[in-house]
Amino acid sequence: MAQVTSGVETHGFHGSVEAGRAPSRRTSPAALETFVYDDAIVRMFMVATIVWGLVAFLAGLFIALQLAVPQLNFGLEFLSFGRLRPLHTNAAIFAFAGNAIFTAVYYSTQRLCKARMFSDVLSRLHFWGWQLIIVCAALTLPLGFTTGKEYAELEWPIDLLIAVVWLGFFGTNFFMTLLRRRERHMYVAIWFYIASIVTVTVLHVFNSLELPVTMLKSYSVYAGVQDAFMQWWYGHNAVAFFLTTPFLGLMYYFLPKAAERPVYSYRLSIVHFWSLVFIYIWAGPHHLHYTSLPTWASSLGMVFSVMLWMPSWGGGINGLLTLRGAWHKLRDDPVLKFFAAGVTFYMMSTFEGPMLSVKSVNALSHYTDWTIAHVHSGALGWNGLMTFGMIYWLLPRLFQTKLYSRKMAEWHFWAGTLGILLYVIPIYFGGITQGLMWRAFDETGRLQFPDFVETVMALMPFYWLRAIGGLLFIAGMLIMIVNAILTWRTRPAKYDEPVHSAPALSPVYDDGPMPEPRLHANTQFAKDVDSRVIQGWFHRVWERKPAKFTVMTLLAVVVASAFEIIPTFLIRSNVPTIASVKPYTPLELAGRDIYIAEGCYNCHSQMIRPLWHETRRYGEYSKPGEFVYDHPFQWGSRRIGPDLAREGGMRSHDWHVRHFEDPRQMLPQSIMPTYAHLLRQDFDFASVQGKVRAMAMLGVPYGEVVKDGVAERLAREQAAKIAAELEAQGGYKDMGGKKIIALVAYMQRLGTDISKPADAPAPEAVPAAPAASSARSEEPVAGAGR
Amino acid sequence: MTTMQTEHSNSTGAQGGAASFLMDHEYDGIREFDNPTPGWWHIFFLATCLFSAIYMVWYHMSPLSTSIHKDWQNQQLAEYKKIFGGLGELKGDLETIQKMRLDSKLMSVAQGIFESNCAACHGKDGGGINGFNLTDDAYKNVKTIPDIFTVVTAGANNGAMPAWSAKLTQNERVLVAAYAANLRGTRPASPKAPDPAEVPIDPWPAN
Repeated sequence: MAQVTSGVETHGFHGSVEAGRAPSRRTSPAALETFVYDDAIVRMFMVATIVWGLVAFLAGLFIALQLAVPQLNFGLEFLSFGRLRPLHTNAAIFAFAGNAIFTAVYYSTQRLCKARMFSDVLSRLHFWGWQLIIVCAALTLPLGFTTGKEYAELEWPIDLLIAVVWLGFFGTNFFMTLLRRRERHMYVAIWFYIASIVTVTVLHVFNSLELPVTMLKSYSVYAGVQDAFMQWWYGHNAVAFFLTTPFLGLMYYFLPKAAERPVYSYRLSIVHFWSLVFIYIWAGPHHLHYTSLPTWASSLGMVFSVMLWMPSWGGGINGLLTLRGAWHKLRDDPVLKFFAAGVTFYMMSTFEGPMLSVKSVNALSHYTDWTIAHVHSGALGWNGLMTFGMIYWLLPRLFQTKLYSRKMAEWHFWAGTLGILLYVIPIYFGGITQGLMWRAFDETGRLQFPDFVETVMALMPFYWLRAIGGLLFIAGMLIMIVNAILTWRTRPAKYDEPVHSAPALSPVYDDGPMPEPRLHANTQFAKDVDSRVIQGWFHRVWERKPAKFTVMTLLAVVVASAFEIIPTFLIRSNVPTIASVKPYTPLELAGRDIYIAEGCYNCHSQMIRPLWHETRRYGEYSKPGEFVYDHPFQWGSRRIGPDLAREGGMRSHDWHVRHFEDPRQMLPQSIMPTYAHLLRQDFDFASVQGKVRAMAMLGVPYGEVVKDGVAERLAREQAAKIAAELEAQGGYKDMGGKKIIALVAYMQRLGTDISKPADAPAPEAVPAAPAASSARSEEPVAGAGR
Repeated sequence: MTTMQTEHSNSTGAQGGAASFLMDHEYDGIREFDNPTPGWWHIFFLATCLFSAIYMVWYHMSPLSTSIHKDWQNQQLAEYKKIFGGLGELKGDLETIQKMRLDSKLMSVAQGIFESNCAACHGKDGGGINGFNLTDDAYKNVKTIPDIFTVVTAGANNGAMPAWSAKLTQNERVLVAAYAANLRGTRPASPKAPDPAEVPIDPWPAN
């Protein structure tokens, strides 16, 4: 094909008003270099996006239906909600959105830099490495190998693989491409890609610091309050730097391309990029309002979320206003329809986010489906629709043919958009309904719905509507898959690979004159500030220095993080110690690992907030000092079932075993999965020694228990005792060697330490039945101050 | 878009009717306007910053705000006053429990306590699930009404009945004992048959 000469370097800063004048050009003395873009890798990532998207959405639909019909897990532990929900979220975020990001980055970076990707080998290592990670996730999560931290569930060997593939393959390939670019300045999309790559690396590495116990089991190095803080610093910024900034980069490239319109405002790009990057990173603690997190951190999380509203909307208005003058094209172009709706969903979610982060709103919304509705309006509306728009724009270009059917794309758009609305709106109603039911008191001062399951039953109609919405969204996806296959079938026998040419960048560069000050300032200093800062000249210089730009981005993120992280770890009063809180016994520790493996935290919180209705329903509110041995923390984020923070001693062993065997034996309306396999499977007593030693290495005071054989002996003694009590209570025989005993031991320990005397027996001794020492105190115990 | 243009507000939406200038650069054919950041954007951004500063000072430094925990404490005091009024600390003796059994307002409170804590094993209507049926005349650890309070407080049957002394206050245990006493003789939906260890006991004394 004919050689395409792409633009030559342009100079100067602000454009001229003179209409029709060509941009000032200076012919470069450097010789033209020729290059070919690697579109094969883009095709690979695009296909992976579509395949994993379908998997993620089907997994979501499957577990959504399980909430309405709990029997749908067919009694198999691999298909229970607790194990598949992490699979759904990881697939949606890292497989679907992840591959979509790579599609966008590999397509646009090459063109924005006028350079082929640095290394085809790294590109392929990146692609296959990432797919390997996804397959590992799909195998380990249903088998119950999990760290128990939301969206960071993958175990330590996979975590290492992620770090290598993300930074070693993807990051290296990307940054080396930047260094070899033939376009002097970096376009705003590239800024967002840079921020995403460096920040996700930092988040992943620091949240995933964990001590391996076995090949597929590790404990978080952080405990309790600190672990919760790190987890939501990570969790929130995974939303920020995995689901927001790369997609803004995607928007900044594909939306003006599809609309064939200039971007609305370059200056808005600068302002909202830096404010977004700096402010987003602080907002994590808004996931932990009213918990045992220190109040100062909670307040910072809230105010930074509120301040984040406009920086987020900066991207939204820059996207929507770019469509000005192109609105008429929306009628005929499904790509623009997807983009316009996607950006609209982005703006709705980024208004809703700050609103939900206001403490008093959060008191109602937290632990309910409102949060689920919020993330799905973002994930399906923003990430989903933007990805689909990009794919429809890429299909004819990558397969070098015509899109098979524009009409089918239109159908996809309407099915997808209506599907999202039908998903999100009922779940909003459901979330608010349940939140209000939890806090309702009647005139005598008692809870109006003391029976938790009543508040679950109220959600059933909403759950069915949500499933129909999800089905509609998937139907749209299927239409796209058919359209994509039929488009692919009309591809040429051999793809055309156009050869482009552009001069290499010269080592020296003249930035041109600083712009004239526009202010009528008296001092030279003020004039300088105007020219250099207010008119953005300094930034224009940064844009041609990728290393400096990357360092500045990293600094913005790390400095902001340090302001919150350092005090969380250093200030002693954040976690006042409680003398009666002791480490778990070896058996309870192993039971806790079963609790984590089964994904109980996906439906049950362990955090009673200091709100009157919660303490009425669940008992004394949780104190920071109660979690000092919890590696990892298990506070949860959604109460599909009731809170378990004070579950210990609430019911008999017999009740628990019957309930795990089949929850509907005890509560006919229950939607909890059955855990009958725990009554069948043998418990591995030999495993407890390694667990205790790992905990001891993390600073849990286990003393003599780490010595050979001690932990196992203690575990056997406690198991025998519980099994004897169990038999006396209701007749379950020979349970002493089964997994269920360890889990029951853990359940009966939950939240009981706080009401024991300070000199209660150390963990070496097997604890007796829950101590009956002091009544629930009328005054808050230690750590109540803010 | 290869040539540079000046566009006007009616077609491009530039601010205040002024012309939109194109920046003097392009990337893969993408151009950018030199439009200013919208004024309302600045105003909203500054307003949220101002709100944040005021909030932090008001909430964390001024004496006018109360903490979450203080709020909770105040509400607890108010609610306890509302529920128990001038009752003071109730005793778990026959006289007190008999009096409570007749107080319909307090028995409604007790119903809430029962449904939150006891219904999982004894059933919402007291008919018994894996816990004993509380509506029939057969009992194992109870002969008199104050025995109910003792069982609630200390537990029974190897922990099949947990001890509630650390979970419920004295007053709550007295109320729930009275509520359980009232369940005797009611008709649950699916009553559980008595355990062999349970024996019929005398009726409660007249109240």
